[in-house]
Amino acid sequence: MTAALVLPAVLDIQQAAPLRDDLLALRGQPVVIDGSAVERLGALCLQVLISAQQTWARDGLSLQIDQASEAFAAQWNAFGATDYALAQREPA
Amino acid sequence: MTKTVLTVDDSRTMRDMLLLALVEAGYRVIQAVDGVDGLETLSAEGADVVITDINMPRLDGFGFIEGVRADPKHRATPVLVLTTESDAAKKQRARDAGATGWIVKPFDPVKLVDAVRRVAA
Amino acid sequence: MTDAADPFEAIKVTFFQECDELLGDLETGLLAIEAGSADDETINAVFRAVHSVKGGAGAFGLEDLVRFAHVFETLLDELRAGRKPCDPPTVKALLRASDVLADHVSAARGQAAPVDEARSAALVAELEALTHGGAAPAAIADVLALPEADEFGFRPVAFDFSTLAAPEPAAASGWRVTFRPHARMYAKANETALLLRELSRLGPVEVALDASALPDLAELVAEEAYLTWTLDLAAVVDEASVREAFDFVEADCDLTVEALSDAPAATDAPDSAPDLDIAALLARATAEAPVIESAPPVVEVAPVVPVAAPTAAATPAPAAQAAVTIRVDLDRVDRLINVVGELVIQQAMLAQRVIESGLARSSGISVGLEDLELLTREIQDSVMAIRAQPVKSVFQRMPRLVREVGEMTGKRVRLLTEGEATEVDKTVVERLAEPITHMIRNAIDHGLEMPEDRLAAGKSGEGTVRLAALHRSGRIVIEISDDGRGINRERVRGIAVSRGLIVEDAVLTDDEIDNLIFLPGFSTADAISDISGRGVGMDVVRKSIQALGGRISIASVPGKGSTFTLSLPLTLAVLDGMVVSAADQTLVAPLTAIVESLTPRPGDVHYVGGHDAVILFREQFTPLIDVGMVMGFRDAALTPSDGVAVIVETESGARAALLFDAIQGQRQVVIKSLETNYRQVEGVAAATILGDGRVALILDVDAIVANARRRSARPELKLAS
Repeated sequence: MTAALVLPAVLDIQQAAPLRDDLLALRGQPVVIDGSAVERLGALCLQVLISAQQTWARDGLSLQIDQASEAFAAQWNAFGATDYALAQREPA
Repeated sequence: MTKTVLTVDDSRTMRDMLLLALVEAGYRVIQAVDGVDGLETLSAEGADVVITDINMPRLDGFGFIEGVRADPKHRATPVLVLTTESDAAKKQRARDAGATGWIVKPFDPVKLVDAVRRVAA
Repeated sequence: MTDAADPFEAIKVTFFQECDELLGDLETGLLAIEAGSADDETINAVFRAVHSVKGGAGAFGLEDLVRFAHVFETLLDELRAGRKPCDPPTVKALLRASDVLADHVSAARGQAAPVDEARSAALVAELEALTHGGAAPAAIADVLALPEADEFGFRPVAFDFSTLAAPEPAAASGWRVTFRPHARMYAKANETALLLRELSRLGPVEVALDASALPDLAELVAEEAYLTWTLDLAAVVDEASVREAFDFVEADCDLTVEALSDAPAATDAPDSAPDLDIAALLARATAEAPVIESAPPVVEVAPVVPVAAPTAAATPAPAAQAAVTIRVDLDRVDRLINVVGELVIQQAMLAQRVIESGLARSSGISVGLEDLELLTREIQDSVMAIRAQPVKSVFQRMPRLVREVGEMTGKRVRLLTEGEATEVDKTVVERLAEPITHMIRNAIDHGLEMPEDRLAAGKSGEGTVRLAALHRSGRIVIEISDDGRGINRERVRGIAVSRGLIVEDAVLTDDEIDNLIFLPGFSTADAISDISGRGVGMDVVRKSIQALGGRISIASVPGKGSTFTLSLPLTLAVLDGMVVSAADQTLVAPLTAIVESLTPRPGDVHYVGGHDAVILFREQFTPLIDVGMVMGFRDAALTPSDGVAVIVETESGARAALLFDAIQGQRQVVIKSLETNYRQVEGVAAATILGDGRVALILDVDAIVANARRRSARPELKLAS
């Protein structure tokens, strides 16, 4: 069973703790994260997402960020997080 | 998307100057006359960036910033402190209270708008 | 800049008004301290008064005033911190200093002779001696001047001249920045994403992220900071510019900045690089020159705003320090303001005609015209300065009114007032008296119940009417509330139907019903009493509020009472507007006139007599005005369903739908002076400049609607009839 998580539009400091808790609740199963609604990504949520990818990898499970919006992908790359996988939304 | 700046200052002159500079730069401006009014206005209307004076009646700039940082809904709002103080201790207090940045009075409108742009998400 | 000069001058006028109040507060506070009746807040208020004078003076480059205020303020800061005693000799010195400060203000304003320099200097020395206990006074240079780079995160001038004189620590061809934020940086609402954005404004940045310190998700503390960035900036800038991008956060992160010896950029343009750098620095030096020059005590600074020399001669110097006031009939002030408005228009037209006739170059006429323009502006400024006072003068009249109305109606009323000190434009204050009077009468007469009815309803026999003024979001808000029976919606609805204001089966919310009382022609006639009747309905109240750029609304809870809320602008120089486009023009419609906007569907629009378009809005046919057509921006009418209809309401309560191509959004605009309006374009109230530099006309909604009506000479049709 693959679990799914939809990210909110604004991933700022306010969202860091809820995002971490939401992800931890899905631990132990493969997860697909829908990033299509994201308009803003801050560094604290970036940390959570990268840590989740590393944690899931250590667990031997997949955690995919899918459908990343343009703004999400642009900020992800601007952070220099290009080593970490991010699947962008197919252009419509 | 028009961004909203809340200015908190007890001086009408300063409020007018900030209003003029910010509105000319395309921001929407809402105003408050002291720290108490500032917290009420922020909680009622929200803002993308806040600019506050330090010396104000009822609640000063330090107390206002602490209030913003303690507000679960608005604690992530950037707050710029507007001050003529050439006093390192005051600047440190503003930092400790949680100020995001500073604007030194008398301000140059270009620098003011620059500072707002720098902290506005 | 010429356009900006106008509002800037207006602010200066405000500043001097504020100075008068601050000087008054200062004196009152010092006298209280002298009399021994002061508390901690008194000394704080005294400090703030001097501090505010200094702050405003700095903004206008009034150096003498700033310098004196600074020395004064420094001593006050010592006193309020308790580091110096507030003994009688000190208080005496402070009182003398407040007199000299007032002299400095008058001199800066051009209303009095220059300050007695010897007296001022002696007091400066005295204040400094008290501050430093006899020690050498600190350099005053830092008053106007530029704070130390490391002392202030935000530097007014971001480089120092040494880089120009000796290009030694010159810009490298690139920089490597390592940046590790601490948790407290994020807690202060700073964000790495924004810092990276800022840095990349200087040039291309190669970003490398080190996430090796990140723990397992289960151990991760959400608001702790674990990441480190290495940023290679390929730009020919100096180190200070690089650090400037991080100055807000330098105490809340680990930051290193090292020169890159062989950055890619360097190989691209090796020779031209240093030249570019100097050129860029020089450009900035020029741009920022006024700030730099204000550091040493030079008298001719910056482009000092035209000094009020003619006024100085014409205005008799104030005889005494005490403010002398006279009461003037508002009509007279209004007449003066109107005449001055005409004068400004005439002056601008005259100037235009002289230019067109080619006379300006060949004679002394242009000099005379410039003087005339200056004088005209001064007159305008002086007239507009009759402004700003607390609402207290209006509030003070209310207790008596409440007693009288209470007696006439046999009701027991308690009046609570709040925020009497709230200030607003004098014109606004004066014009508030009537609507407030009317609403308080109304609240007692219609809102409150008779004592026996109140007791029967489980309330206190004495009713409460609350009158409050407060500032909220750049507006003044006046609330008039009562704890009476609330609006009788059944009855209001019945009256509205009987007067043909709404159709019998109209579906309205409670809120909409409550607001029916503001409709023209609605007046609770069968209850017209001596008290609140007088043939004045709430529509008149609303009209007078709208004329001031304000809004009025009502909230009512049956059995609990009603609250009327008035919201008015504090300054008349700024307008809340909706930016729209018609043909290829950008226009601004005042928000106060707008009811709502909608996209017309083809079936909604009808043509009366084959040409006058009307649109069905809230079950009423409303004239549809193609603004692009009536303003002459286009020749062929816009198909209504291709545009947006903005429903507006004029001051007389008439509704119309203005058809535009599109709505661009809401924003505040600075209203430009009458001069821009001298051609008197029909339907245009004023002009403004938008953030992107485009000029936009501000629509005169009343004129547009009135013109359209005149053209069609056809009254609006009601479905009901």
